[in-house]
Amino acid sequence: MQFTLNGAPAILPPAMADDRLLWLLRDHFALNGPKYGCGVGLCGACTVHVDGVARRACALAARDVAGRAVTTLEGLGAGRPDGLHPVQRAWIEGRVPQCGHCQNGQIMTAAALLAETPKAAAVEVAAVMDTVLCRCGTQARIREAIARAQALIAEDA
Amino acid sequence: MALSRRRFLEALGWSAAGITVAAGGVGTFVPRSVLPHRGAPTPADASAWLSLRPDGTIEILSPRAEIGQGIATAFRQIVAEETGLPFERIGFVHPRTDRLPPARATVGSDSIKDFAPLLARAAASLATTLRQLGAVRLDVPAGTVRLEDGVVVSGDGRRVPLGALAWSPLVLGAADIRGARARSFDRAISRALVGTSPEPDGLRALVTGSASLFADDMRLPGMVFGTALRAPRLGAELMAVDDGPARGVAGYLGLHRDGAFAGIVAESRGALERALLLLRASWSDRSPVTQASLDRAIDIDEALARGGLEHTPREDSIGAEGPFSISLRLDVPMAAHAAMEPRCAVARFEAGRLEVWTGSQDVTFAQRVLADELGLDAEAVVVHGCRVGGGFGGRTIPTVELEAARLARLVGRPVKVQWTRADEFREAFYRPPSSHRILARLTPDGRIRDWHHAFRSGHVIFTSAAMGPLLQRATSFVGDPGVARGAIPPYAAARIRVEFEDVRLLVHTGPWRGLGAAPNVWAIETAIDALSRAAGRDPVAFRLANLPPEQARLRRVLERVAAVADWSSRRSTDEVGYGVACGIYKDMSYAAVVAEVALDGEAPRVRHLWCAHDCGLVVNPDGVRAQIEGNLVWSVGMALHERLGLADGHVSATSYGDYTLPRYSDVPGMTVELVDEGDPPSGAGETAIVAGTAAITNAIAAATGRVVTRLPFEGAAA
Repeated sequence: MQFTLNGAPAILPPAMADDRLLWLLRDHFALNGPKYGCGVGLCGACTVHVDGVARRACALAARDVAGRAVTTLEGLGAGRPDGLHPVQRAWIEGRVPQCGHCQNGQIMTAAALLAETPKAAAVEVAAVMDTVLCRCGTQARIREAIARAQALIAEDA
Repeated sequence: MALSRRRFLEALGWSAAGITVAAGGVGTFVPRSVLPHRGAPTPADASAWLSLRPDGTIEILSPRAEIGQGIATAFRQIVAEETGLPFERIGFVHPRTDRLPPARATVGSDSIKDFAPLLARAAASLATTLRQLGAVRLDVPAGTVRLEDGVVVSGDGRRVPLGALAWSPLVLGAADIRGARARSFDRAISRALVGTSPEPDGLRALVTGSASLFADDMRLPGMVFGTALRAPRLGAELMAVDDGPARGVAGYLGLHRDGAFAGIVAESRGALERALLLLRASWSDRSPVTQASLDRAIDIDEALARGGLEHTPREDSIGAEGPFSISLRLDVPMAAHAAMEPRCAVARFEAGRLEVWTGSQDVTFAQRVLADELGLDAEAVVVHGCRVGGGFGGRTIPTVELEAARLARLVGRPVKVQWTRADEFREAFYRPPSSHRILARLTPDGRIRDWHHAFRSGHVIFTSAAMGPLLQRATSFVGDPGVARGAIPPYAAARIRVEFEDVRLLVHTGPWRGLGAAPNVWAIETAIDALSRAAGRDPVAFRLANLPPEQARLRRVLERVAAVADWSSRRSTDEVGYGVACGIYKDMSYAAVVAEVALDGEAPRVRHLWCAHDCGLVVNPDGVRAQIEGNLVWSVGMALHERLGLADGHVSATSYGDYTLPRYSDVPGMTVELVDEGDPPSGAGETAIVAGTAAITNAIAAATGRVVTRLPFEGAAA
């Protein structure tokens, strides 16, 4: 089974086909971006993009991505200035993370949302970001960083 | 007897002063080897913290863990300040036991207060040493060279890069460190880095996923994955286990037992999960721990009816002279740390030597417990600290480390144990539940005459999660200082009685952000608000009128937040309430918060929080703001959302679906005002939570006309 991982062709080992996609990415491909947070899709820490859509890697089987394109946090900024997606640039400017463990999910979720709806209104942003948990309390900075990323995306367009 | 109690307290790292000790015997045997190390850092310790690398950078081998509080950034700023090296050329290494002397746990918001001044002196001493070495190399007198941007420069402009001085290990002397003069906290001079907010340590790595930071990012050759078997009820013991069906799972490596411990190991996490589902285990029954039994165990009114409480930090006797102006029963539930990173550890056991990688707030204690439990010399155990994905007091006691170490020894391969979220909720320890009774009388002119606060709680520092039965017995005569934290009110009163009882619960309880100060100050500030209404006074004016002159810093933050929040023009209605509260953390940091809470919807919604915060000199303003914001979000959680209950003999939560944290939409706008009127640096990690929670519930009370007496607030009907 083959799939595309961060823009490059990748082989999905048959022995891991039934494992969670998260274990394939972390343990086979040694990627540190997607994190284990809850294992049941409730916290968002493991979020990746599958064909551009934010999905929870703990709740997908590895086989579910056969033939599809998976992007992790590591690949999000590929081809962008400084290797940073506008959402990542906004996150750095806004100094969003504290412990940082949830930030993969925050960034990947926000990036997928803004790819689909660059001018998402505050209520649309809230509906999506409510599904990604942060325990340190960085939500106010996330709110500001998303607004900043929207401005950066508008400038780039 | 007095002597043995004092010795006992010293062994635990507490001075006898300020701790109430009831009469009674204390066993003389204290197994020091498994006690947390609480010694203050010394100049000799500090000589291990800094080293010059061959590339001319300086490495900080940190005695403090980075748990998201930003200590790595602050420490790098201080070393850059002292040495004149660019911030980017100061590196940060997490605590590790093979290179560091025993270090106190990263707790208590005291990294800046207790460690940074010593680190600054060590760095100043290092700078002196580098100038001396450079002068020798340049063959000029030591007093004639400068240290600039990582280069030693002579008076005539000749230069030696620092890397050229790193040809032999550089040892800082304790006496030199003790005598060094640091710049970082000297307000009289202009400083380059202290007081600024450079890019936080690790920010780009976190935002790009590019580096190995956390324990789960650690991968060793030949590493396998393990888990312990989990009891379905608190306290149940494993009677029998059959892994027959699991043996059919490809990659399953077997069941391993070591005394009461049982665990399984597999080649991959997928195989581990599949095998775990097929295990057949039977567990002993025991009388179930119920929510009702827990509530009873900490029922303060039941204890008061019985007579006085065990510990009496303030012991005025309050006479029966007429009715009390207020009598409030206040209840605080159990709460989980719920850090986003579930506990994880990697262990390698090779040639009698154990190495463990873990996100721990206390690598020294972990090393001692691992050595003790596995029958090894402490020198044979190395604990490598990783970045911690949220501490909050939860990573102070080794758990997953022991599981990984046991399995690594049993299977002879490196083992990673990653707790599931259910493990994280059910196998950890919690903020103890507490109940409080506060009775108070006012004088006719609106001053507090009598204040009586009695409360009952599970343990915090003398936690059963870390102490065996012997130590538990020994500590039963000493009031748990974590339970007592924050209980002495800052207000003046003619008579003050504060008494409490720490109850040994069947559920493991322990330190949680703010320790006892979070519930105690919530209770105090709830009662003070009720008193202000009883006195017919504005809550800010009432507080100011009752704070004694020596509480100048608390008064100042209160006045400041009232100004910033435009308090005097705020009027609560049925739909929008405004509340205020203030508090002190560990006699060192001060916060006052105003909350605006809307009650026009189904659930109360915190619309805005204003906070004035004084932690003295601030090393990194943005980092302190981040900590305050985090504390305010925790206040929202404590006031409106968080409760961990018991059901069917176990903690009821197994997922985030069963334990509500504040979400994105729950987080209000926040205005943070840093107050610095010349005091030395203290801490910001758990200060604002002591004021934020009560500010929110007082706002609800202002709108509804009813005191919020139970956390979390669950609507007007509750």
